[in-house]
Amino acid sequence: MTTVDSSEREARADLYVPMSAQVVDVQQMTDLEVLLRAAFDGGRPLDHCPGQFVQVSVLGVGECPISVCSSPTRPDYFELCVRRVGEVTAHIHRLEKGSVIGIRGPLGRGFDVAELHGKDILIVAGGLGIAPARSLIQYVLDERQQFGAFHLLYGVRSPAELLYRDDLTLWRESPDVNFHVTVDRPDEQWRGRSGVVTTLFRELPQLDPTETMVAIIGPPLMFKFAVLEVLARRIPQNSIYCSLERRMKCGVGICGHCQVNNVYACLDGPVFKYGQLKALREALE
Amino acid sequence: MADRIIRHSDLMKLVDEVARKRRIIGPVARSVPECEPPVRYFYEDVERADQLDLSFRYCVYSPKRFLTPPSETLFAFDQDDGGFVAAPQYDRRPTALVGVHPCDIHAIRLYDRVFDLEHRDEHYFARRGATMIIGMDCPGPCTDGVFCKDMGANVAEAGFDAMLYPLGTDTDGDEMRYAVMFGTKAGREWLLYSRQSAAPNADDERAFEKYQADKEAAFSFALRTRREDLAELLGRSYDSLLWDATARRCYSCGSCNLSCPTCYCFDITDETDLASGSGRRWREWDGCHLPEFALVAGDHNFRPKAASRLRHRIYRKAVWIQERSGVVGCVGCARCDRACTAKINSVEIYNQLAEEA
Amino acid sequence: MMKPKIAIFSLTGCEGCSLAILELEDQLLDILQVVEIVNFREGMTERGWDIDIGFVDGAISTPEDKREVEELRKHSRVLVAIGACACLGGINTLKNHQPASEYRAYVYGDKAEWFPTMDAQPISAVVKVDYELPGCPMVKEEFLRFVKCMLTERPFRATANAVCVECKKKGVLCLYEKGIICLGPVTRGGCDAICPAYGSKCEGCRGVVSDEALAAAGVNLREQYDVPLDRVLADMRFHGAYQEKSLP
Repeated sequence: MTTVDSSEREARADLYVPMSAQVVDVQQMTDLEVLLRAAFDGGRPLDHCPGQFVQVSVLGVGECPISVCSSPTRPDYFELCVRRVGEVTAHIHRLEKGSVIGIRGPLGRGFDVAELHGKDILIVAGGLGIAPARSLIQYVLDERQQFGAFHLLYGVRSPAELLYRDDLTLWRESPDVNFHVTVDRPDEQWRGRSGVVTTLFRELPQLDPTETMVAIIGPPLMFKFAVLEVLARRIPQNSIYCSLERRMKCGVGICGHCQVNNVYACLDGPVFKYGQLKALREALE
Repeated sequence: MADRIIRHSDLMKLVDEVARKRRIIGPVARSVPECEPPVRYFYEDVERADQLDLSFRYCVYSPKRFLTPPSETLFAFDQDDGGFVAAPQYDRRPTALVGVHPCDIHAIRLYDRVFDLEHRDEHYFARRGATMIIGMDCPGPCTDGVFCKDMGANVAEAGFDAMLYPLGTDTDGDEMRYAVMFGTKAGREWLLYSRQSAAPNADDERAFEKYQADKEAAFSFALRTRREDLAELLGRSYDSLLWDATARRCYSCGSCNLSCPTCYCFDITDETDLASGSGRRWREWDGCHLPEFALVAGDHNFRPKAASRLRHRIYRKAVWIQERSGVVGCVGCARCDRACTAKINSVEIYNQLAEEA
Repeated sequence: MMKPKIAIFSLTGCEGCSLAILELEDQLLDILQVVEIVNFREGMTERGWDIDIGFVDGAISTPEDKREVEELRKHSRVLVAIGACACLGGINTLKNHQPASEYRAYVYGDKAEWFPTMDAQPISAVVKVDYELPGCPMVKEEFLRFVKCMLTERPFRATANAVCVECKKKGVLCLYEKGIICLGPVTRGGCDAICPAYGSKCEGCRGVVSDEALAAAGVNLREQYDVPLDRVLADMRFHGAYQEKSLP
């Protein structure tokens, strides 16, 4: 029998204290991005929703918000795609298999999967947006019978920036998803499509506006153009999801850093409906 | 109807009794010869009641630092190759805040909400739960420029354990008498237990009624827009040129945020010992006017200009905090305006926007 | 792990910033366990030239300073300016606003020609500087934080906030309430507002916090305050924070 002393109980109840998780696998995906697979001690699942994020701690350095990029249908572990952009992420890049990290979360609001059930799904991902998208992609593939048609469009600037190459192969060959990928600037070896991600909309069949739910995840500029394409297909604004990236610090809607006009990206998001987002002037600036 | 009547000397005895069990924080007068009048008041720790000056007009800074300090440890940690152990730290020292004006009581009520809106912040509530609040009502505006009446914060009906109303000096002497209202059971017990106070008689009731009537007459509105209409006013003002025009004076020094009793944003930092792997994670006051508040890793700043930061603060104070928490986000104490060395004035901003509209 | 080799040098200045390192006392022993000091005139007699982190206090005020700092740059993998003199030019720059013949005669009398001198400059005007720890004197706590960052391979970032933040955190009465034009709103914080906390106005020894704040100062001091701008400019020049002839 294990006993929990009062300080440990307090630590578990405290908003700001991270739980210990072990890195079970590390995969360098590109120069900038690493894929961590982590699991809590004792095998407790993260119990997240696709689109949610966690705060990853490197104690002594700090915390940074990272989208969970694996699906809750794979509960033995959770995966985090970490781009090296700042101090904490630079330290995360030095982690090895067996390293211990701190995790707070899952945090924020993800995709409402219940609302997606029974619908046709279109996911448009640009750049690092494929990371939060992947938690939903895996979910749809793992629960395939719950969904109608499934289209996935993915664009990056150059072939070197393609993430999850193993998954890309899998998705390309899978009959379960209509997957297309493009790069803005092809190199010599690139045999696939080139152009911005919105050019891939030509590959889509006619979408049923009342039966299609869309998730667009990527940089603001890509988001704007992709939204235009989707709206032009008469998809209602509240059938379009997107994910906002901001400076989440506390992750629980208090510290104020990730506020976008009157919403907290960490609490009300990071996943929003377009109908909600377009009222936020700061969201797409 | 007042609950009790108490004389100043009896109140002082009661505060001294409290001081045996709690740290006492209240208004202390500091001589500042260069100022007019040559005194300023600050909330400070005191040992004895006679160090307090309950005749204070206003305190330069609100008592927020005693509930959510400028910097505080969230948890201490030890780590080795096998992992880490984190121990959260809470401050549960029994404390009494004595002499808190209605505006600051409203601000504390706001904190009680926003630190427990969707997630409960135990670091705040550890202090808050150990803190007794003895309010001091203000018979009139404490200084020029306040707009507490506009924000509905010149009167507090809850948020205190007991509230004192300075009725004036005795007819037979020069000692201040206070009417007292209980806000909580703890406040009631504190006052009744010691028998230093009396039940109000008919004269006292008349005096209390007159006090309230005089107070009502002493405060006037400063804003051209009613509080309920500020959301509508700001709703039309997002693209006003006033933000840029005003912000060219803004130093982005954050004084408005940090002196605001309702600002509660914070930053989080880690610190480690050189030798061991142990350390702490702590938070400190931050503010949306500060230049790097909305800076993200990779150096993109979501609010790079002072104008967008100014607008953000005003919207938060007038509308957004209330939308989320149901509690008004500004108490009209005008500490932001007094703290601004560029003399950016929130009353002027609201009134200029009203004129534009 | 190899201990990083540290050196501490002084150019034209009072060497108070180097001394501040010795004043760290309690923490100094901890630091000495993890670094090796190879060159430090204030603290030792040996001289080593294989340097990981070179700290320099004092300004470039003579041709000799210039030669020396160029030499230090060659030997230091990381070069750090410490104190107002090294970061801004410091009070040495006061001479820049006077005719050379006058101050040279005043300081050196009839031996002036024996002492070549030039306009005082921050060391960044001569060599690439990797980090600056400003202040008169340098802030010991910031130095310590910097050393910790270097030892743990973390980037060091100075605060982007003005001194006012620290006054407010400490609960200091704003000097503007006393009618004093304090440079706090335009000056980079990190000093724990030590001067205002003791009732003295901020003199800007940590440099101007941002162009935005400086522009605001120009507007405010002209439009909101009835003060002689020359006096304010003189204050801003005192530590070399601002060298121009007029406010923006």
